[in-house]
Amino acid sequence: MSQKAAALRQRKRRKTDFAPALLFMFPAILGLSIFVLAPGLRGVYLSFTEYNVFQDPKFIGLDNYERALQDPLVWNALWVTLQYVAINIGFQTVFALILAVLMHRFTRSVLIRGVLLVPFLISNVIVALVWYWLLDFNLGYVNALIDLISLDRMPFFGEDTAMPTIAMINVWRHLGYTALLIFAGLQTIPKDVYEAAQVDGAGEIRTFFGITLPLLRPVMAFILVLTVTGSFQIFETIAVTTGGGPINVTRTFSILITERAWNSYQFGYASAISILLMLILITVAIVQMRLLRGNESDLSR
Amino acid sequence: MTILNRRGASKEARDELQNTSKSARAVAYVALTTFVLLTIFPIWFMIRTALSTTRSLPSDPLSLAPVDFTLGALNRVLGLASSAEAIAEGGSGQSLNFFQYFANSAISTTGATISQVFFSAAAAYAFGVLRWRGRDAIFFVFLFALTVPGIFLVLPNYLLARELGLLNTLAGVMLPHMLMAPFAVFFLRQVFLGTNMSIVEAAIIDGANHVRIFFQIVVPLASAQVMTVFVLQYIAIWNDYLWPFYIGAGAEESKTLTVALGVFRSQTPQGSPDWAGLMAGSLIAALPMLLLMILFGRKIVGSIQNSGVKG
Amino acid sequence: MPISKKSRLAGLAGIAVMPLFLSACASGTTDSTESAGSGEAASGVVLEYGLWDSNQLPAYQECAAAFTAETGIGVNIEQIGWDDYWAKVRNGFITGDGYDVFTSHLAFYPEFVSNGQVLAIDSFVNADGFDVNQYHPGLADLWTNPAGERFGLPKDFDTIALFANEDMLTAAGLTTADISNLTWNPADGGTYEDVIARLTVDTNGVRGDEPGFDKNSVDVYGIWMEGSGGGDGQTQWSFLAAANGWSANEGPWSNTYNYDDPRLHETIDWWYSLVEKGYMPSLDIQQGVGWADQLIAGKTAMASNGSWMTGYIFSQGNENFTPTLVPTPIGPTGERASMYNGLADNIFAGTDHPNEAWQWVKYMGTTDCQDVVASYAVVFPAIPSSTEKAVAAMGDLGINVDPFYVHIENGTTFLFPIADKKSQVSELLSPAMDNIMAGNAPASSLSSVNEQVLALFN
Repeated sequence: MSQKAAALRQRKRRKTDFAPALLFMFPAILGLSIFVLAPGLRGVYLSFTEYNVFQDPKFIGLDNYERALQDPLVWNALWVTLQYVAINIGFQTVFALILAVLMHRFTRSVLIRGVLLVPFLISNVIVALVWYWLLDFNLGYVNALIDLISLDRMPFFGEDTAMPTIAMINVWRHLGYTALLIFAGLQTIPKDVYEAAQVDGAGEIRTFFGITLPLLRPVMAFILVLTVTGSFQIFETIAVTTGGGPINVTRTFSILITERAWNSYQFGYASAISILLMLILITVAIVQMRLLRGNESDLSR
Repeated sequence: MTILNRRGASKEARDELQNTSKSARAVAYVALTTFVLLTIFPIWFMIRTALSTTRSLPSDPLSLAPVDFTLGALNRVLGLASSAEAIAEGGSGQSLNFFQYFANSAISTTGATISQVFFSAAAAYAFGVLRWRGRDAIFFVFLFALTVPGIFLVLPNYLLARELGLLNTLAGVMLPHMLMAPFAVFFLRQVFLGTNMSIVEAAIIDGANHVRIFFQIVVPLASAQVMTVFVLQYIAIWNDYLWPFYIGAGAEESKTLTVALGVFRSQTPQGSPDWAGLMAGSLIAALPMLLLMILFGRKIVGSIQNSGVKG
Repeated sequence: MPISKKSRLAGLAGIAVMPLFLSACASGTTDSTESAGSGEAASGVVLEYGLWDSNQLPAYQECAAAFTAETGIGVNIEQIGWDDYWAKVRNGFITGDGYDVFTSHLAFYPEFVSNGQVLAIDSFVNADGFDVNQYHPGLADLWTNPAGERFGLPKDFDTIALFANEDMLTAAGLTTADISNLTWNPADGGTYEDVIARLTVDTNGVRGDEPGFDKNSVDVYGIWMEGSGGGDGQTQWSFLAAANGWSANEGPWSNTYNYDDPRLHETIDWWYSLVEKGYMPSLDIQQGVGWADQLIAGKTAMASNGSWMTGYIFSQGNENFTPTLVPTPIGPTGERASMYNGLADNIFAGTDHPNEAWQWVKYMGTTDCQDVVASYAVVFPAIPSSTEKAVAAMGDLGINVDPFYVHIENGTTFLFPIADKKSQVSELLSPAMDNIMAGNAPASSLSSVNEQVLALFN
């Protein structure tokens, strides 16, 4: 017994599980290196070259970056991508919050939760196409309805409205999913906090803003970092509908990068723009985590 | 609406529901109904269009029922219609090699997801249960990977695949997904961080090594969450368009269903897609996911809450 | 009742395995109709061939079957719509694994040539003693570069005309003959604008040329806008600009562009004025479902487009839509004009089967195939005798294709601009033209774009 106890104490004092950890994380690290880090480095290298795939890359130093920073389309991409992110995240988060609270407080139906997830099962491409058809100015259902009630038809994919429309299409697809994530977070709030509030006579709305929302902060932080990062990279929905137009109003970063790389074989320039995008994403993520203080939980106060 | 209350509602839940004011409940139900209707309508629209004749669609845009009911679209998509029949209804003569693409998607998605979730869980175990120096630093690199734009990686990964001779192969489509996904590692680490360590320590005392603990204790305890990650990643990989398009669209053996449907839309005369065919194909494409949801849905939908997503 | 874990795993396995069963069962029936002519060819070689026009697919399937029967070389045809076709072609270059032969376009082939992606066929032509003069004059030369190297054999050509809804003409008191000699000028639009105005009807039934016409509430447009046309405006405005004396560049392979020419500016400004007057939908409104559907559904009375759409449009007649054709208007030059585009097939430079590829290209460049294409009445083949057959076939379908053909007869065609770096030029011009047609800038803004285009070639 004492021998075993001594061995135990020895093992417990093992300061590190490094050996088994190595085994466990090896495949993932391998994957990370081959498919993220290495290509990332290669992409960085390419961004300093002129490369059209058919000939060898030609080193040109910072030329691509200079060109990118002066390229009105790059600034346009920043502007329209920000528009998209703002509208998409804004509406998605607000609606998802409302939906999550509704599910939490007013129904226990698993069927409803399931139904709300169905849009997520359909690929972005198809969702975009269905809405492109539904919102068509002349032959779409929505405008036919609008016509029926004697209002003016709306060109949903026109110059001024294309981006908001694209943003809302994506909200439709991701709403259920985001709502479920928030819903999960709601479950972690202890019931006694709500009971205390009720005893104090707080109504639904006061409870929501005064208790639910603040306690949800870490969950929201996590969700927001994920959704914002994904949002900046919006591609498929635009690619199969407006393709960057009309004019340049939906020419987001991903669309611009794809065009430069695959339409005119400017792989080097496209890589440079991608790096700029990544820098933006990192900055946004850091700022978000700081602002939202996502590491702390108000419950501990 | 009362059906909602009875279904799956526990006594506590019903009590809680009764504590809310009548007007609040009314508003809530209206809101919920609106959300549900807005969610369902486009899906109903897909079904209704899939059962219509493409040619006749513009003539009756407000119809909620199929326009000129026909199973022609389903036939076209499944390759059962002849060229002439297809063109007559407004489709393209080009057939969709549906079963091949479906198989491609099924094989590549299932293989990649199983492998990915397995290895990501292993890594999450290393970051969430095991203790070693530098653990958080290395994990931070995974976090960083989350911020790398997908589009940025497509180009160099494409070049890599070309050099390895993996273009137009299913292996090429699967490979980047097979070893890990930053989201999966992140999510599962969160889950494992919440593991009851005393059980683990007891197992160590009993002489179990970590591999056994992983397979027999930690993962089973978190089975619902692992399942959740599996389904979420399955959906993401099945619906992935960009990478499979560039890597696999060139050959029948490597074209996934999502890509094929995207290409299908532009098959027909001058920008006017075969809507019925497209909707039929999309609905069928969504079926495996629907099946997954039905099989595992209860667990997932009810279980995300236990992921310990507290931050 | 919760489903047990075992049966869930079984379900999962089932999903994965099911398609394998299905594909095994279905492999018999899904012998895709795309591969006409493939199968156990005697020589064992199977070429990969690509095209974008679904209307022409059946014709080429028939050609391929005959070709395989004759030569034993299989041809696997794939049709992908225009939007995705070029991505596929370009991707094929990079992977080295794409089409062996593919339908090419004057807009893109110069880039392919300068990147060394397509094969010159001179050696084949000379070895076989092939007659490259059997085509309509000028077509074969389109596919040679300044160094005289040849990259394709002409297979068909197209011109532009106005598609119209005869029922609407009748309602407006006009006949096809009435509007077959329209005149146009950038100042007042000539009789062309008069007719467009007449055919436009607002929601109160008031026509565009009647008092009380409400341009904000239009029910039927006189003419449709199919996007801004980018730098070429092939179907949109090229026939007007050319009839005004303008040309995009100084001839094939010229890098001197003329987007700063006032004759273009006044044309575009006039064209935009149609939107302001309510006769043509705005850029916003036309976004979405295409012009053909709009014409067929009765949202527009006319639309200018190319001969490749003839078969489709004329097959879609219904109780409210009787298709008819009208030639493009006569402009200030005193003549009509139409862009003249000739398609040919290119051979991928990295193909494993150059000889077989040449056999197929040659076949498509002879009457053997072009007569077959003619019989399907979809496009005009490049060999004059085949063209006549196509015209006759279309006549049999009740289609009078004089409006397209008149340009050949009178020599009023002008070439699709052939130049290098087309995609980059497009990247500059398309948004600029969009901008103009959205009403955000006048056509003179094209001058600054022209400078950027010229800078590409320095």
